[in-house]
Amino acid sequence: MVSLQNVSKSYKNGVNALNDITIDINDGEFVYIIGETGSGKSTFIKLLDGEEIPTKGRVEVNGINVGKLRFSKVPLYRRNIGVVFQDYRLIESKTVFENIAFALEVINKPRKEIRQRVREVLEIIDLSDKAKSFPSELSGGQQQRVTIGRAIANNPKLLIADEPTGNLDPERSNEIVELLEKINESGTTVIMVTHDINLVNKYRKRTIKFEYGHVVSDSKEGGYIAHV
Amino acid sequence: MFRLIGRHFKEAFQGIFRHFSSSLNSITAVTVTLLLVSLLTLIIGNVSQITRVLEDEVKIWVKIEDEIEEGEIPSLTRKVENVEGVAQVEFSDKDSELDRFISGFGEEGKLFEIYREDNPLSRAFIVSLREGFSISDVASRIEKVNGISEIDFGGVNTEEFLKLLNGIRQGGYIIVLALTLVAIFLIQNTINQTIFNRRLEISIMRQVGASNSYIRQPFVIEGIFIGLMGSILPVLATIFGYKYIYEAFQGKLVSGMLTLQPVYPFAFFVSGFLVIVGIVVGLIGSFLSVNKHLRWRR
Repeated sequence: MVSLQNVSKSYKNGVNALNDITIDINDGEFVYIIGETGSGKSTFIKLLDGEEIPTKGRVEVNGINVGKLRFSKVPLYRRNIGVVFQDYRLIESKTVFENIAFALEVINKPRKEIRQRVREVLEIIDLSDKAKSFPSELSGGQQQRVTIGRAIANNPKLLIADEPTGNLDPERSNEIVELLEKINESGTTVIMVTHDINLVNKYRKRTIKFEYGHVVSDSKEGGYIAHV
Repeated sequence: MFRLIGRHFKEAFQGIFRHFSSSLNSITAVTVTLLLVSLLTLIIGNVSQITRVLEDEVKIWVKIEDEIEEGEIPSLTRKVENVEGVAQVEFSDKDSELDRFISGFGEEGKLFEIYREDNPLSRAFIVSLREGFSISDVASRIEKVNGISEIDFGGVNTEEFLKLLNGIRQGGYIIVLALTLVAIFLIQNTINQTIFNRRLEISIMRQVGASNSYIRQPFVIEGIFIGLMGSILPVLATIFGYKYIYEAFQGKLVSGMLTLQPVYPFAFFVSGFLVIVGIVVGLIGSFLSVNKHLRWRR
């Protein structure tokens, strides 16, 4: 599903964000990526969604060599992956329903199909009763669920969540992880970047730790104990 | 397909109205630019017309030496024809020269009919020029041909005038081009603002895999629309303004020889040109601006 072979990424300003990373993630896995700020987590995500090109090595998602994608093919590729951000990024002037529908509109799905799929998604994220609400009328947890809904609207094979619980209290965070688990169970591969150790220890999954651009641990059993 | 177009138009109009003052600025800028373009185009069009008429009128009168035998005329004609810049050489014998002389005096010219029997005038060539050649240059070259006694053309004045007209025409083209570039720049600024206002939507669109052309379209439509709006006033001004001027001058300039371009079709051609310039300016301006924005990230 996701395969990084000896990937390095250095930016023009001289920062070496990733150094010789090799990671393989299988179909249907749920993986935590943890690490301090500046450990290379964000770069990892940018490599996966095609925003950045690796300086060295090979990034492959779903059999596609992401680093070699032509500029014009990147949008098409992105339809296979959903991304969830810490800061939600919802359109304030659109309702919950419209926000989720937007993701399908811009890739030209027929209107009837959109309506049907949005209803399904609202069911999954458990916000059917908020379909007509605007983002500002929702709590942070609810907004994040809308973002997740938007990300899975097009049935992506891979869902990347970048600190999805960063702005949420522990209880809402649990809800989010449980929602991601539910999505994962239906066959979507989930990569969740976080620095919430409590979550990682509570919902044990494969956990990959980044430090200064290196992978310092990759534990299948999950959980995390501070080494220091 | 229609669903798609509808969506793009909706977004484009939202863009225009959400930051109406900026759109209005752009529309005004395009209007002012196109008004100037219109004025210049009208001038260029008429200058071209006048130049054409004058160039047709400009002929060099070449007097042939009296010693030249009748039989040598064809070879002399060829010699003059071979001079660089000469388009056509027309031979005029003593009789027709006298006719020309007499008609030059109008009614009183009849007095000179008495010279018909013993004509003191010389035979001549009437030489017309190829386009783009200076009269005095060609004239001095013809003068060097053996058997030519004298040369006469409208003189330095005609030539200077033609030069001036050409200068106006070329200057006009350059200014039109410069103004168009300015308009493109201004539209680009407005579109940049739209892009800034909608950067969140754009980033989401990119994230969920909207194609670049999909993202680009509302902005391009907005740009074209601004260009079109900006061309309305100049088009009206062109048609009615030119009609007014044309009627005020009764279609003539200075003398009857220099006629103005008739309102129809000329003013309509210019209007069409303005609309096209408006659309193209909007198209290019918005396209550049969105492309710049879409380029800085994959």
